Amino acid sequence: METIIEFSYVVVFAIVAILFTIAPVIISRLIAPRTIGDKTFTTYECGIQPFGSAWTRHTIVYYTYALIFIAFDVDILYLFPVALSYTKGSNIKEFYSLLAFVLILVLAIIYAWGKGVFTWKRKNL
Amino acid sequence: MCDLAAIINIIGKETARLILGLIGVLIVVVVNALVLTWVERKVSGHMQKRIGPKEVGPYGLIQPFADGLKLLGKELLTPANVDKPLYYLAPVIVFIPVLVSFIVIPFDGFLQVKDINVGILVILAFSSLSVLSILIAGWGSNNKYSLIGATRSVAQNIAYEIPLLLSLLPVAFMANSLSLRDIVEVQRQGWFVWRWQFFAFLIYFIAATAETNRTPFDLPEAESELVAGFHTEYSGMRFALFFLAEYTNIFIASAIATTFFLGGYLGPVLPGIVWFFIKTYFLVFVIMWFRWTFPRVRFDQLLNFSWKILIPVAFANLILTGGILKL
Repeated sequence: METIIEFSYVVVFAIVAILFTIAPVIISRLIAPRTIGDKTFTTYECGIQPFGSAWTRHTIVYYTYALIFIAFDVDILYLFPVALSYTKGSNIKEFYSLLAFVLILVLAIIYAWGKGVFTWKRKNL
Repeated sequence: MCDLAAIINIIGKETARLILGLIGVLIVVVVNALVLTWVERKVSGHMQKRIGPKEVGPYGLIQPFADGLKLLGKELLTPANVDKPLYYLAPVIVFIPVLVSFIVIPFDGFLQVKDINVGILVILAFSSLSVLSILIAGWGSNNKYSLIGATRSVAQNIAYEIPLLLSLLPVAFMANSLSLRDIVEVQRQGWFVWRWQFFAFLIYFIAATAETNRTPFDLPEAESELVAGFHTEYSGMRFALFFLAEYTNIFIASAIATTFFLGGYLGPVLPGIVWFFIKTYFLVFVIMWFRWTFPRVRFDQLLNFSWKILIPVAFANLILTGGILKL
């Protein structure tokens, strides 16, 4: 029951957020002027004649960053449940488990560092 | 247990709470945006030995209203070769994370829309959604500046999300709860900034500045190289919505810092809500202060600063906290 209520809060707020963004756009559409000129609807490119599409290939550097992010983000989310039960018992064992978990994660950074993910040099494709 | 009257009673109470909460949150969002646009221009002005807006109303206080009206009356241009569904979708979903985050922020002991027991996770999960909106805006615009801005924004946001998570985690360890009100109540014994978590606070604040795309980390919208980044092609009210979301995000980032590290609504003499706003707006002022103090960083420096310095330090801080708690 409690969970359903909490979920319904999130859902209602999300719906209101959507309405909140649609309403001003509609109002603006009703009162704003319209112009039709020669170049009104061209893509903005600092005043020069736009050439080509923006949908082209990208450098791969971003991709490797994204890959390590996914691994990290998921792993760190596992630590949030740990936060709730960490001090329940006074056993030192929990500290060692935490240490092991974090050290393995740090190993991932060291690995990526060694592999040269963080060096940002131009790769000749 | 399954008494119908009791259920109806609960639903009635919750609906009243929901509607009141919604009205309150919307008022906070709108007033905050008006105040922040004015404050930003005044602060910028005075830091550059100018006066800032002063013509419209006393001390230029009516200026934000004038700006809002002007934006409402501006033409809504849709360039010819955009990806239309995505282009229209981006400003619609930009507000979802903003508004949902407000559910769990405790303004005062009882002034909280709903104390969800996984409050941190709600905020973190939904704040990742704002990246999606930026990516959709940049991709849908079919503009080179927009796409470069969006790509940078995604890389930056995902790089700084990890230190953000790692700086909030030790606080959850110490408070033994993920509910924001519990975290504030635990701080009656002392604010977390002074109780071991000073470095976590620094890391959080740097990461939050990056997450809200503020200078010195404003590469996604660097006006001198990318025009306006992901919202180059947006005009009129659609641009205003991005703008509104950005200012509300600054407020939320500061409010979370206040809640987690600066004792939230706790403080002597004055009522809690006043303390909450004093602390939050002080942090907002600091973020504006950054803008006129630090030059913009280079992009590889930005990413590597997060991966090589912030994340290892945050891990060390987490281990340290774990050790202290077990002593």
